[in-house]
Amino acid sequence: MSDSETSGTSKIITHVREADAPEPEVPFAEIEIVQSKEFIPVVKENLTGMIQRGMEAAVKPVFNWAGRNSLFPLHWGLACCAIEFAAGFGARWDGERFGVVPRSSPRQCDLLIVNGTVTWKLSHKLITLWEQMPEPKWAIAMGNCATGGGPFRTAYSVVPGVDKLVPIDVYIAGCPPRPEAMLDGILRLERLIRERRG
Amino acid sequence: MPEENPPLRPLIPGITAQFPQDVTVLPRRKDMLAVLKVTPARVAEVAKYLRDVGSFEHCALVSGVDWVDHLEVLYHLWSDSLKGYIELTVDLPSEDPHVPSVTEIWRGANWHERETWDMLGVRFDGHPDLRRVLMPEGYQFHPLRKSFELHEPEELEVKARHV
Repeated sequence: MSDSETSGTSKIITHVREADAPEPEVPFAEIEIVQSKEFIPVVKENLTGMIQRGMEAAVKPVFNWAGRNSLFPLHWGLACCAIEFAAGFGARWDGERFGVVPRSSPRQCDLLIVNGTVTWKLSHKLITLWEQMPEPKWAIAMGNCATGGGPFRTAYSVVPGVDKLVPIDVYIAGCPPRPEAMLDGILRLERLIRERRG
Repeated sequence: MPEENPPLRPLIPGITAQFPQDVTVLPRRKDMLAVLKVTPARVAEVAKYLRDVGSFEHCALVSGVDWVDHLEVLYHLWSDSLKGYIELTVDLPSEDPHVPSVTEIWRGANWHERETWDMLGVRFDGHPDLRRVLMPEGYQFHPLRKSFELHEPEELEVKARHV
């Protein structure tokens, strides 16, 4: 059954029985395919395409809704912004009520929050972490250092803005931004995802 | 000076007698038992003498200063029995400065010398692993040199890539 389904017409012809051969004990469905060998594949192709397109149209908003309401940021801290990041997921601000749960492995994350000063020495690690995250993924530059280098903008060792390394979706100003500013940035990113992929 | 430091009285004449051409006793600075100026070629031997004979068993700091016309490398050595530091200074030329490594004498000097190489470009001969510490591999400059100029971020060409 599965053989004749997956391959083309030539495979189906082999199932036509000889004139003097004994009647084979085959399932009903296979006889159906043999008898209507030109009609069935066309219908099947149309049907699967229709189902696929319909499923995509039906499922995409569901994935979008599920994805944007369960953004998992990477749990890493670089500087004082990481303190605000940690406070944002503590009891007082409780970022988990938006479905935002920091995860410790980049393989489980779809959101990179760069919270702190990135030096040139660290830039390779930042790019590695970004590339280890599965698609679809987003990035937030949190604080002035990640946005544009901050007070260390002209220093010899500091990257003047992480958008030179990874594509950034939302910039959060502040030195450091308060936890509610970080949560506001995440909610703005959720709105972006809804508008962009809806 | 030796007169002001009873615990160092046997040591300073001993070291000046051992290395008469290479060690000069400089005026004392604050918090230092003594300040010695050493010629670059004999740094490792003077340091070994200070560790073995003078009981300076801890190398607290290896650093450097760019005095524009020349470079200076500093060693701060701590003695637990004397409860004090001694300072060695070495004057080096700005162009292609070389100085023997003291990593074989104090293992802790390893990263100090790497940092001095990274920031000031002083080569430590005989160092087991003289790589950059603070700046990434492939960085072209020694940023604590006075001749180093900060680049404008707008003109910066980013060549960071996955390695």
